[in-house]
Formats: sequence, C-alpha cells, structure tokens
Amino acid sequence: MKSHTKKCYLYLAILIIGSQLLHAQSNFKLPAYESFRLDNGLEIFMVVQKEVPLVHFRAVVPAGTRRDTKDKAGLAGLTADALSTGTQSFDKTTIESQLDFLGASYNTSAGSEAAVISSSFVNKDASVVLPILTEMIVKPIFDLQEFEKLQERAIAGVDQMRESPRGVIGNYFNQMVYGDHPYANIPSGTKKSLQQIGIQDLKNFYAQNYQPQGSVLAIVGDFDPLVMKIQLSDLLSSWKNNTILAPTTPEIKALNKASVVVVNKEDARETTMLVGGIGVPRNVSDYIGIQVINTILGGRFTSWLNDELRVNSGLTYGARSSFSALKDGGSFSMSTFTANETTEQTIDLLLKTYQKIHDFGIDTKTLESAKNYVKGQFPPDYETNAAIARFFTDATVYEIPMDYIDKFTETVNSLDSKKAKQIIEDYFPKDNLQMVFIGKASEITPIVTKFGPVKVLEITEDTYY
Amino acid sequence: MKINFYFTALLLVLFQKGMSQSKATDIQTFTLSNGMKILVLEDNSIPNANMYLFWKVGSRNEYPGITGLSHFFEHMMFNGSKKYGPKMFDRTMEAAGGSNNAYTTENLTVYTDWFPISALETIFDLEADRIGHLDLDPKMVESERGVVLSERSTGLENSNFRNISEQVKGAAFLAHPYRWSVIGYESDIKNWSIEDLQTYFDTYYAPNNAVVVISGDVTLKEVKRLSKQYFEPIPSGPKARPIHTIEPEQLGQKRVVVEKQVSSPNIMLAYHVPETKHEDYYALDVLSAILSDGNSSRLYSQLVDQKTLATSVFSYMPESIDPNLFYFYGVASPGTAPEILEAEMVQIISDIAQNGVSERELQKVKNQKLVALYSSLETIDGKSNTLGTYEMYFGDYKKMFSAPQSYEQLTVADIQRVAQKYFTKNNSTVGYLMSPENNTK
Repeated sequence: MKSHTKKCYLYLAILIIGSQLLHAQSNFKLPAYESFRLDNGLEIFMVVQKEVPLVHFRAVVPAGTRRDTKDKAGLAGLTADALSTGTQSFDKTTIESQLDFLGASYNTSAGSEAAVISSSFVNKDASVVLPILTEMIVKPIFDLQEFEKLQERAIAGVDQMRESPRGVIGNYFNQMVYGDHPYANIPSGTKKSLQQIGIQDLKNFYAQNYQPQGSVLAIVGDFDPLVMKIQLSDLLSSWKNNTILAPTTPEIKALNKASVVVVNKEDARETTMLVGGIGVPRNVSDYIGIQVINTILGGRFTSWLNDELRVNSGLTYGARSSFSALKDGGSFSMSTFTANETTEQTIDLLLKTYQKIHDFGIDTKTLESAKNYVKGQFPPDYETNAAIARFFTDATVYEIPMDYIDKFTETVNSLDSKKAKQIIEDYFPKDNLQMVFIGKASEITPIVTKFGPVKVLEITEDTYY
Repeated sequence: MKINFYFTALLLVLFQKGMSQSKATDIQTFTLSNGMKILVLEDNSIPNANMYLFWKVGSRNEYPGITGLSHFFEHMMFNGSKKYGPKMFDRTMEAAGGSNNAYTTENLTVYTDWFPISALETIFDLEADRIGHLDLDPKMVESERGVVLSERSTGLENSNFRNISEQVKGAAFLAHPYRWSVIGYESDIKNWSIEDLQTYFDTYYAPNNAVVVISGDVTLKEVKRLSKQYFEPIPSGPKARPIHTIEPEQLGQKRVVVEKQVSSPNIMLAYHVPETKHEDYYALDVLSAILSDGNSSRLYSQLVDQKTLATSVFSYMPESIDPNLFYFYGVASPGTAPEILEAEMVQIISDIAQNGVSERELQKVKNQKLVALYSSLETIDGKSNTLGTYEMYFGDYKKMFSAPQSYEQLTVADIQRVAQKYFTKNNSTVGYLMSPENNTK
C-alpha cells in the first residue's frame, strides 16, 4: 500500500498455462495426480505436494455470473457469498471462529463461468475444516438476516466501485463486446438489480445451479490420498443432482460497427481507456500462440504498447493488452490512462501502435524474445498448491487438454513467423473496435467522435449501457 | 509485509520440530570485499531463480525539494547504463526469459528479477552494469517525469486510501521525512535536476549499502563465482549520512479533512508507534491481527457484521526503520456519519486497553502466523523476500532465530500493555475523506 512500483502489471505470466524449459525439460512438469468421480458425477482431483504442511481446497460449481439474468444481476455473486454465512450444522459465527482460529483462509465467490469455494489450511486440521467447507457447498441455509446484510453491503459496494474508473471500465466494455450473451452481465449487479433480489431468489438460484454434475474439486497439498479420498467421498456423496437443464445461451455475435462510450467523471484527473473487441474461447487451439503474440503487443514491459506510450513518450505509467478467455468466447482489450490534456495524443498513438501489428507483422528477433519470455516466466506460476489446484479446475471448466502443460514448450517453439502472421490475422480484431473512455466528457467527446457514434454516460449513474 | 516477521520468526519452531518441508534451513551468506552482502538459498523445486536487491534508501532519505526522488531513481535504474543503453536492460532480460520489477517504500528500494536459471549470468551482468555504471540520460529523465506524474495521478484517481493517507501522514509527522508520500510532491517531481539524481546515486547506490538475496535452482559455488566476477569490482562508497531527525512527541490529537466526491466517508486513524526493531513490535503486530484479520476479528465482526456501520475496515502497521504509524481504516456504510464510525472504532481499540484480549484470540493469531509462514515458504519469491526483509528491518536475517522465543513469550497482558501505551488520544491523528456537501461542520 505504501510502495510504488516501476511496473503496474504482472504481465502475461499469470495468464499462460503450461510450459517447460528447453534446457530443463525433465525438471518441470505437472505433478502426478489422481482423479476419480463420485457416483453423483462430482469430479475430484488429488495432488500430493509435500513442500509445506498445507492443503489447498478448490471446488468449482457451474454457477457463475453467466447464469444471472439482467434484471437480477448480482444474484450469482450474492448466492456464492451467502454460502459461508451459515449451513445446516454450522452457523456463521461457528464457521468464522473455527476457521479463523485454525488460520484457515477461505473464500466463496462467483466468477463469470463458475462459483468457487476455496480454502488453505494446515493438513492436521483437515478433519475440522473439510466438513465445514463441504457443507457450504452442499447444505447452505440462506439465513434471511445474513442475506440482508450481504445485500446492503453489495448495494453500497456498487457506489464505492464507481469511485475508481479502473474498477468499472470493464463493465462498460463487456456490454459493448458481448451484447446479449450473459458474459455481459455485471458481476456485482446494479443498485436496482440488487434491490430486486430476495432470499427466495438465492434459494432458487442455488437449487438450479449447484449440483455435483459439472462441478469439480481439486485438492492439493500434503495429505494421505487414501484417507483424503474416503473423507471427501463421505462428505460429498450425499450431494444430489437436480433435473433442471442448463440454460441455453445465445451466440456471441460478431461486431459489425465501431462504437464509443464516454463516461463522464466530473472530478477526473485523467482519462482511463479500454479499446478492443471479440477475443477467443479459452480452449482455442491457438491459445498459446495468441499469448505469445499478445506478449509482444502488450503483455510485457518491452511490449510495443508500453514501449511507445510509456517509455518513448512518457504519456502514461503503463499500457497493456490482454485476452480474457472464457468457455464460449472472450474479449481482447488494450488499456491505458493519461492526463486529460494528452488524451487525444494517447488514443492516436495506441491505435497507430496496434495498427503496426497488422501492417508489418512481427520480426523474427522479437518473436524469439517473446517465446523465451513466456517459457521462462512459466514455472513460478505453478509453485503453489493453489495454482496447481486452479489448473485442474480450469482444465475441467474450460476443457483444456490435460497434456497442455507437457506440450507447452513444444507449442511455443513451433511458432514461426508464418504462423504468427496467421494468428494476428485470425484473432486480433482489425476493425469495428469498441472503445470506452472515462474522464471529463466535455473534453473527451469532441476528440473521439471520429471513431464512431458516441454514447455519453455518467459514472454515478446506476447503469452500464 | 508485516506478517513476514512471523514467517521467519516461526522458522525455528519448524526446525526444532524437524519438519522436512522447510528448505529455508539452507541459507548461506558471504560478503564481497566492497561490502555487498549476499544471501543464497538453494532450491531446485523449479528450474528458475530470483535475485532481490535491497537498497537501504527510501523516502526517509529525502528532504523538501527532492521528495519522491528515491522512487524516481528506482525508475531511472532501468533507463540505461554503460554497456546496456536505454531500453537494453529490459530488452536483454526479457529476451533471456527473465522479468523484473522494483518498488520503493519509506525505507527501502528493492529490485526484483525473476528468471529461468539459464539467464543467471545475464542477470548478474545487467545488474552489475547499472549499479557500477549508471548513465543518466537527460532525455530519459524528462520522459520518465511524465511516467511518474501519471503514476502519481492514477493512484489518486483510483484510490481513496491514497488521497487520505498522504494528508494524514503530513499531519501526523511534524519533522520526520515520513511526513511526505513515497511518490513525492508534484512540484518536486517536475523540478528536480539531473545533478540531484547523480548525487543520490553516488550517495546511496554503493554496494556496501545493499543486500542481495538469491533463491532458486542455483549453487552457492556458482553464485560466489558470478558475484566475484560481476559485483566485486564495483567500488564501495562512503557510509551515507544517518537520518538523525527524531519526531518530537505529539502533544495533542490532530485532525484533517479531505474533500473528494465519495459515496460514503472514509476514515483513517493513525497512532505513532516504534520502529520494527523495538521490543513492542511483536505485540503490536499481534494486536493488529486481533483487531482486523478475518471475519472473527474485533473491528470486522462488530463494525461491519453486527452494527453494519462500516462496509470494510482494516488495520496496518508497516515495517519501519524509524518510529512510524499504526493505521486504522474504515469505510462508512451509507448514511453513517464519520463521527459515529470514528467513535465506534476508538471504542473497540480502547476496550483492549481497558479489558485486554482473550487467550483464544492470542492463540488464533499465533495459528494464523504459522499458516502465513508456510505460505511464504511455498515459493522461491516468498523465501527471498522474507530473508531480505529480515535482514533489512532487523539488521540480520539470523535474528529470526531469536524471534520465536519473543513470539511464544507474548501474553495477553503484553497485548493490553501496548494498547494502553500507544493508542491514546494525544498520540492520534484522525483523517476524514468525505464529499464537500457533507463537510459542513
């Protein structure tokens, strides 16, 4: 909180799944794992890691914000939050005092795709912690008083989030990119949508979406797998499936025109911007290649965007690009921020720099550098129990092949200039770009009308479109 | 980073219990003839390594006119040296598969390199070149001013904490350089000269003012060889002038208000506390956890959960070379006046001074610190950071071996004692961040 860093991003490393190093191929591999499926369909992965006497538990249930409806946006999040506020055998105070006393961290939350129940604890405490965690998933009670507190905090949170442009800019962008697809849902909801949610909505959402079929649990750390298997089977076998079919979702539609949203923030010191379009699903076969190319464009310190906008011109503290890849599809975005008076210069330079990737492609030297970078930065991403657990749940949710890690180096190495060109052509949106600017609308709007029809919103308004 | 203290403090407990999981037993050290101290931890769990360079220079070494220069200097260390000109530090490192970052605090400037083991010699070469032969290019200085002004602006644009903390610090400290923020004043960022930078480099970037920590798939032998080849030829410098300003005792409560458009008031309370080396550090750190770590902590359970007066609350005590501040932060729930939340926060803090804490609360925090220790030992970064933090703030990484006793000896009476000693009204600074229309009193 008190330090200032040279670089604002952790870069690509955290996005990349899987790598081995050329010189040390035998050293780094996904650890051995055991997987099994309970009769109710729940898939379980166990990985024994003995470096520290901890265990990481990560359960993932297909109950993410994509299952929300627009009028009750925020329901998936509230339901996930409520899991830790009381179960049939453990009330909230017991859950909090027991887990805190043991030093066990825990979290229940909803992402776009799925709800996640995770915890890290000392291995000797497994027999106390596991019954609590599994009851949160299988037997939550949805207490009215606790729900009302959560709801009140969530509504306050909506306004607080709007005090930071960076906290909300993605919500505006997702409306533009995803349209009618539920990936456009606002994870935290709006004040209006949150006010429309009642306790019965949580119970219904739970009944419809929390079930073992389609869920996955990864448990990683220092434990006896034979004992763990019995414990987990005992605790989770009673979890029942419902008969409700998963909702069908519309396709993510191609974008046929550029559009611009300007969000007015009267006291803005700077302009915060996001520019991009439709990206890729997480299991796209070229995912690794896409990440290597994005490393060059905006995924590391020497990337073209950061080099032009920060290093060469001092317009900003940082500029980057990234692919947010989900199951049905994803988005591509470039982001930066700059002083009010350098807004036009910055947006022009950002677009000019992006254009270079299409007009001139990538030279061999830069490509080799990026390949080395993604390979070299990979192993530390899989040092912790939590990171390994996440690989297994992601692999299941996003249908990533299990040999992904073993083939990573080979895949990176096989990327040549020809393939790189193809990837740029296929996956980096060339036109119909979507743009969001948050700052002083009176100054920004005249500048950005040249990019497409402009819609102006107020940052304090309870809407994102 | 406060919990790092306990990460390492608990190492001895682990060693005594003979837990084979902890590889942090293998700390090896040597000092080069120029005074640069190097700590090495061999760990081949992944084919990577890191290098952490801790420099004993931060915003406490600045004075009005050059506030923020430590941080700006940190940026300039990436902008060109004799062999590797502008941009070449990052380009060379990234092409070799490595990445880097750096951060500046009130006390330290820390440079971090993460890399595949194949890049080890490249990293030594890059670091040695900029430490020994930094080349301050006027063009890069000008462009970097824009970068840092943007960094300052984006922090203020996106963080209420940033807005209020720089005002509270400025009020709480009358004399000590902790009174300004690490990023510095805008006018200083715009006006310091290249001569200021050169003087700063000459004063603080001598190898005898640094500790280097290397963890990962390395051998001591190889690290020694490379250190002698690359780092040892860099000449040592004169010892930097000590910071001798002692903050005068605070004689009464101070209060500040920051007006900013917010949906509900934010409150910061700050109390002067001693430096990290002080014997009360452990008790204060435990007190912080009892008050705000986890949903069962006193501030969270009472203010956020039961009374719903706040939507979030936390406490925070930075590690520090000189006496510094212990912070409390609360975001009021809609409709809650700042005076009400302040009074409730103060009441909860005073209750510990009056009635103490329970044995169970103390034991809970000890358990939490143990898990935090294990977590830090999961990664080579956690290991390097812990070792370096200890070495810099406690003067010797080996002091972790005497820490467990201090930790185990803590009683509920110690916690009550420090609460009584430091959390007094006269020792406090109170800051409100609120919308102009609500600031009518």
